[in-house]
Amino acid sequence: MEDRSSELVQGTLDMLILKTLALEPMHGYGIALRIEQISRGVFRVNPGSLFPAFKRLERAGWIKPEWRPTDNNRRAKYYALTEHGRKQLRAEKAQWGKQIAAITRILEAS
Amino acid sequence: MSLLRSVADGFRALFRKTQVEQEMDEELRGYLDSAVEERMRDGMSHEEAQRAAKIEMGSIEMVKEEIRSAGWESAVETVWQDFRYGVRILRKDPGFTFVAVLTLALGIGVNTTIFSVVSSMLLRKPPVDDPDRLVMLLSKAPAATEWGADRRPVSAPDFLDWRAQATAYSGIAAASSVEDAVDFTLSGGTEPERVPGNRISADYFQVLGVAPVLGRTFLPGEEEVGHDRVMVLRQDLWKRHFGADPHVLGRAVKLNGENYTVVGIMPDSFRRMWMFPAQLWIPLAFTPAELGPAARRSHALSVFARLKPGATESAARAELITIAARVAAANPETEKGWSANLMTAQKYAIQEANATPALMFLTAAVGMVLLIACANLANLLLARNSNRQREFAIRTALGASRFRLARQLLSECLMLSLLGGGLGLLFAVWGLRLLRPAINWNEYSVLIAEMLSIDRSVLLFTLGVSVAAALVFGLAPAFQISRRDPNVGLKESSRSTTAGREHHRMQNLLVTGQLALSLILLVGAGLFVDSFVEETRLNRGLNSANLLTASVSLSGAAYQDPGSQSTFFQGVLHEIESAPQVRSAAVTSDLPYTFPGSANLTFEGRPAAKPDERPSAGYFAVSPGYFAVLQIPLLEGREFTLSDNARSAPVAIVNEAFAQKFFPNQNPLGRHINIENGNENSNSQRWSEIVGVVGNVNEFLGQVAPRPHIFEPFLQRPNSSMNLVVRVKTEPGAFSGSLRRAVWRVDKDQPVTNLRTMDRVVHDAGQGDDLMAELMGAFAGIALLMAAVGIYGLISYLVGRRTHEVGVRMALGARRGEILLLVLRNSMSRVCVGAGIGFLISLALPRLVNATFEGFYNVHSGWILVVTPLAVLLVALASCYVPARRATRVDPMTALRYE
Repeated sequence: MEDRSSELVQGTLDMLILKTLALEPMHGYGIALRIEQISRGVFRVNPGSLFPAFKRLERAGWIKPEWRPTDNNRRAKYYALTEHGRKQLRAEKAQWGKQIAAITRILEAS
Repeated sequence: MSLLRSVADGFRALFRKTQVEQEMDEELRGYLDSAVEERMRDGMSHEEAQRAAKIEMGSIEMVKEEIRSAGWESAVETVWQDFRYGVRILRKDPGFTFVAVLTLALGIGVNTTIFSVVSSMLLRKPPVDDPDRLVMLLSKAPAATEWGADRRPVSAPDFLDWRAQATAYSGIAAASSVEDAVDFTLSGGTEPERVPGNRISADYFQVLGVAPVLGRTFLPGEEEVGHDRVMVLRQDLWKRHFGADPHVLGRAVKLNGENYTVVGIMPDSFRRMWMFPAQLWIPLAFTPAELGPAARRSHALSVFARLKPGATESAARAELITIAARVAAANPETEKGWSANLMTAQKYAIQEANATPALMFLTAAVGMVLLIACANLANLLLARNSNRQREFAIRTALGASRFRLARQLLSECLMLSLLGGGLGLLFAVWGLRLLRPAINWNEYSVLIAEMLSIDRSVLLFTLGVSVAAALVFGLAPAFQISRRDPNVGLKESSRSTTAGREHHRMQNLLVTGQLALSLILLVGAGLFVDSFVEETRLNRGLNSANLLTASVSLSGAAYQDPGSQSTFFQGVLHEIESAPQVRSAAVTSDLPYTFPGSANLTFEGRPAAKPDERPSAGYFAVSPGYFAVLQIPLLEGREFTLSDNARSAPVAIVNEAFAQKFFPNQNPLGRHINIENGNENSNSQRWSEIVGVVGNVNEFLGQVAPRPHIFEPFLQRPNSSMNLVVRVKTEPGAFSGSLRRAVWRVDKDQPVTNLRTMDRVVHDAGQGDDLMAELMGAFAGIALLMAAVGIYGLISYLVGRRTHEVGVRMALGARRGEILLLVLRNSMSRVCVGAGIGFLISLALPRLVNATFEGFYNVHSGWILVVTPLAVLLVALASCYVPARRATRVDPMTALRYE
């Protein structure tokens, strides 16, 4: 994904992260991997965009971090969706749907 | 919720830096490891996986930087960084910092000082409840040509009519007007004292919206004659005269010889309202004479009203005008053509103070001074920036954005201007301290001077101006930074053979602007100075040297009848003239160079004019020999003598302006006039014969057209309030004590006030013209000095840049004189452009001044417009000459090697 398009979808990236965490809590790389896998390689998020997004979402109260120990005596930071986050995700999904429908209508109008 | 979290997280990032860093490291490392694992699962070897993962992640430092800048705390940190860096830069170059801060302090300081005056005179609201709802009801004279004709005081019958008919107010109250301020003699306390006082309606304080600090205000019943012997004191008078004794309430105190009971104490806030100099108040009880139909002609009340909630100013004004029209229709002999006017009390005070034009000029002047200071600073910064090219180039190469560099520069500018603003505030405090005693030409100006202070709005103003100044002088250099190509800066030698003309366009523009502004300012100041000098030099009409004046206002029952009044003053004159230092003495109802009362006139043999169109003249009651004492020339006829007294035929003397206006091409001597001076209800037809014509004397400095004046012998029309004029052989001030003692030998209970030499009276009649001239002159001087420094700085800098070129020229054979001429010609061409622009603009100034001041100023230019540009050019030439000469001192060999 080029630099230009990643700026465009900053708001979308937030939504994608929330959606990814809706199933289960994950750590940073896991989220990035999941997004890449499910989008079939269309969206490849680099850490330079990912981690600032985590900070934002954390401060907005939509995700909360927890440190879990990994096998090699280290710890990894996992993020989980909060109740507010779930609500926000629903709202953003609805908004996104509306936008998609509108754009589609415009594009299909002759 | 999220706001709180954001704030808390930010603070944690600021103050737990190491811990946050560690966590970030840990998380990113974990990310990297997971990436490696994933790739290895895909089949890569360990090294390949590591390489691929690292490439994909990019620089960890940059990722961390991205993470950091995602929070608000990073902005705070960069600001803090900018601040610390700026402090370091400023400390590295103390000379520059000193000059810059001082320049700014001067510019901001004068602005703050003038703004303090503006704030306290124009912006401050009276310290009453809800000041915008307090309005004044005024009478509007039919001939609205005189200054102030549309806001005259109100007559008593009009006030009562208005109060009865108006519906827009929750309360209407009257007070004896500011122009009729009366002094009362207060005794019964520590010692007798003469204080200004006011007669007021019972609900005056309620309407104003000020509550007593002790006791009560007047009751409605106390407005009746007979029940009105009660008094309210102002707090400072209470402290001064009665030692703040609370038992003074209910006690009887002697006022003008009569007993009054003190019932209340009002707060000191009245001291801060310049239209309210009264220190004590008594009820306004109308006598029948004051209510009769003829009393409609005596406009002597200030009427205050408070608008009802919901009533608007314009609706109230319309209603008032309707009521006034009704009253005028019902009383055609006295009220024809009179209307009414309404404005907020604050607006009235501003118009009466008549300082707005002067303040406008002063504000413009200090604004220009600040602009010139900013231009200097901008040039200083532009010059300094060219030395910082490498620094900026390196920072750009390291990744700083243009915005970041510009922001850094702007924060340095902000620091400079905040420092300058702080120092400027200090200058302003000193400036006000110097200014206050100079505002002293009458009692009202002294009240205004007391009100001057640095208040909250002034502090805010200073801050705002500092920030604005930083933007003004920082913007040009900041803009310049962002346009430079970093490669140019990184090269070692920045030598350019042609002095990069496009780089200096901004600086040239600034210097041109400075010169234009300072020229305009100088011409303006010159106009004021010249006008003031002129008006003091003008033939005064009298000889004011060695003349002492004083006021005596008789109080007490013993002096109610006119006979005792004239006896008293004759006695005083006798006592004074027997002193050895005295050449001669006289009394007059009003001093020259003050505004006298008016008298309405009827001429024998001419048809009586309608009441509002009656001719009038300035009125004076004087003792025999008055004109001789003042050395006012007697042009025709004779002076008053002792035989012109109460038993002889009434006589009068007129001045030249009177003769020219009412007896053009005729001889006024022997004609008869009926004089009504408003002190009495004269239905009596008393015809005075004109026996003399004297020279004109002005009422205020700068008066162009002398007003007709008429004089009567005071023995024929005595007054209880007169001024003494004494010509002494030596220093007039030294005679003050003897003067007082002479008065007290006649009656020891009469205070002698307002002792001034005649020179001082004339000076005070300038109404602050001298102060205006001094201030404008000072500001223009500062401006010129700053502009000169600015030119010097720029030329030095430019010459420095061309050192190499100069070396080449000299090596090729140019002589020192040629170099000098080269530099001078170059510099002066810029100077002349600026001076030319300034000159063209200042051509409009004389007309502007005259129009703004509406006749109170009369400036004529001529030589000022010629001399001032020459002076500016001379100063600019001097500023260019010094660096030009330095250029010629250069040793060609050093210059050639100079980079």
